[in-house]
Amino acid sequence: MKKTFTINISGTVFHIEEDAYEVLQKYLVNLKNHFGSSEEGKEILADIEARIAEIFIEKSDSVHKVVSIDMVNSAIEIMGTPEDFAEEESEQEYEPTVESKRKRRLYRDPDHRVLGGVCGGLGAFFNMDPVILRIIFVALFFITAGVAIPAYIILWIAVPKAKNTAQRLEMRGQEATVKNIEKSIKEEISEVKESYRKFKESDTYAKGKKGVATAGDVTYNVFKVILRILVIVIGVVLIISGFLGLLGFISSMVIGHSFVSDWPMIWSPEFQVPGFLDHFVSPGTVTFGMIAAGLLVGIPLLAMLFIGTKLVFRYKTNNTAIGLSAVAVWFIALFALITVGFGQLGNYKNRATFTETKTISCDSCQTLTLNLGEDLYEDYAKLDFEIEDIKVAVVDGEEVMLGEVRLDVEKSGSDEFVVTVKKASRGKTREDARDTAEDIIYRFDLKDSTVVFDPYFILEKDDKYRAQEVNITVKVPEGKSIYLGENMVSIIHDIENVSNTWDGDMVGKTWIMKPEGLTLVEEK
Amino acid sequence: MKIENTKAQMRKGVLEYCILLVLDGKPLYASDIIKGLKEAKMIVVEGTLYPLLTRLKNTGFLAYRWEESTQGPPRKYYELTDSGRKFLSELEESWTELVDAVEQVRTKKA
Repeated sequence: MKKTFTINISGTVFHIEEDAYEVLQKYLVNLKNHFGSSEEGKEILADIEARIAEIFIEKSDSVHKVVSIDMVNSAIEIMGTPEDFAEEESEQEYEPTVESKRKRRLYRDPDHRVLGGVCGGLGAFFNMDPVILRIIFVALFFITAGVAIPAYIILWIAVPKAKNTAQRLEMRGQEATVKNIEKSIKEEISEVKESYRKFKESDTYAKGKKGVATAGDVTYNVFKVILRILVIVIGVVLIISGFLGLLGFISSMVIGHSFVSDWPMIWSPEFQVPGFLDHFVSPGTVTFGMIAAGLLVGIPLLAMLFIGTKLVFRYKTNNTAIGLSAVAVWFIALFALITVGFGQLGNYKNRATFTETKTISCDSCQTLTLNLGEDLYEDYAKLDFEIEDIKVAVVDGEEVMLGEVRLDVEKSGSDEFVVTVKKASRGKTREDARDTAEDIIYRFDLKDSTVVFDPYFILEKDDKYRAQEVNITVKVPEGKSIYLGENMVSIIHDIENVSNTWDGDMVGKTWIMKPEGLTLVEEK
Repeated sequence: MKIENTKAQMRKGVLEYCILLVLDGKPLYASDIIKGLKEAKMIVVEGTLYPLLTRLKNTGFLAYRWEESTQGPPRKYYELTDSGRKFLSELEESWTELVDAVEQVRTKKA
């Protein structure tokens, strides 16, 4: 049992089997491409269709007129395919314009392919040996560290395959290369000149309707040429910026180092995106987010590349399908990224603190000296970035997240010096936040009557940034004093004192805790 | 130079002449024209003929009229126009000249 369709050829209705229909359809499309869409081409096609209808009637004696694939094949054999015509009529002497107007288009060449036939098609377009293009492509692959691969895949997807003879002919078309573009522009310019000349003549000799019509013609042609040049310029700009954008984007996403950052381009990354994000979110989420972000930024860049190549090379594609799926994927990526983003926000929802208290047992100490420890990360001063008091330093190839601490001085409840270290963090739940807070590493050392504070706290290796803070409070018993070392200025924060002295002026001096508060001890 | 190409070129050159020749005297339908040409192996596939007919018609050498057909769509019957007849006699003249010339060369050689 076979499915049949009802078709109308030249006014006669036929029932045609499905497979036969497909073959016939393809054949007629080939013919249409071969003869072109001019009036003459249409007439030839109509004649051929009429003849095919006749052949079908001849072949089918039955009343039902069912067309089988054999009938279609024998009809095609009788009529011949475009290849046969090409053989028999080879170069036509008359009407060469019909042929030369067929412009070259970019197709993938299925007859000369290694992968998708992209290089083969480009070779046909530029009239070059595809092998040269393949070598260039492989070279590009190494130079751009693999970015050439997506470019190839885009062309593979976007550029249609040369399926029928008409397309193969178009692929090789009339002459080639960038010269082709140049030539077609020149042709159009000379056309404009011609019609301008005509216009001038008609203007001098016969003013009136004809003149007006030609004037319209001239402006139309001038406009056409300008438009074509503009289209090519826009196309080239789109290709270049799309390609560089993609190059920079992918390199900053994957490699973390943009080797095109010195080039003038739209996207020039300042830092390594995945490495940067690693400090905030878990690696799995980074990968997922990166893919979403990649699509989000990549699709518009690809679209630029795609539109650019289309403008320059003029190949046919199913724009609606490609456009719609691109837009759909873009929105999915956007949605995914928003979801991930909100998910990440949840990690900052709760705040918790963890406090460690250390009593300084130094009965004989009348004055406690507070000093800042050596900045161990000074040598690694080339810090990646800094956000809200958190720095990332690279030590022996490993990244360390450092946070600046704050130190305050208060009155002690007991008669001993007490140092409390209050670690705070945010997290998804209070427990998470507390765990993360507990993980914060902070040290201070006591030697004799001197306390040396580390300038930074360190996040545990696998911990992410959760707005961690460390607040140190030095509690001073009444009657005892502290000496603030000069370098303490970088961590002390708004220490209350009776004279309302600024932090910057408090260092290098001794302060005594009196009932009313911290008081400056005058130098004797 | 491809041999096939030369053959095709030679055939093509005389194809128009043959079409006009077949049509001389009586209007014919495309498949009738083809029948004669196919027997003489002037053409292989029918598809070649239609563009030629259309172009000859557009040049003004041929004209056609529609005729109802008992089997299928109405048919185009082509016939020579006055200028077509004139063109045909020109072609005939140059064909005779050509054949003579070739013959002369061949006999001289033999």
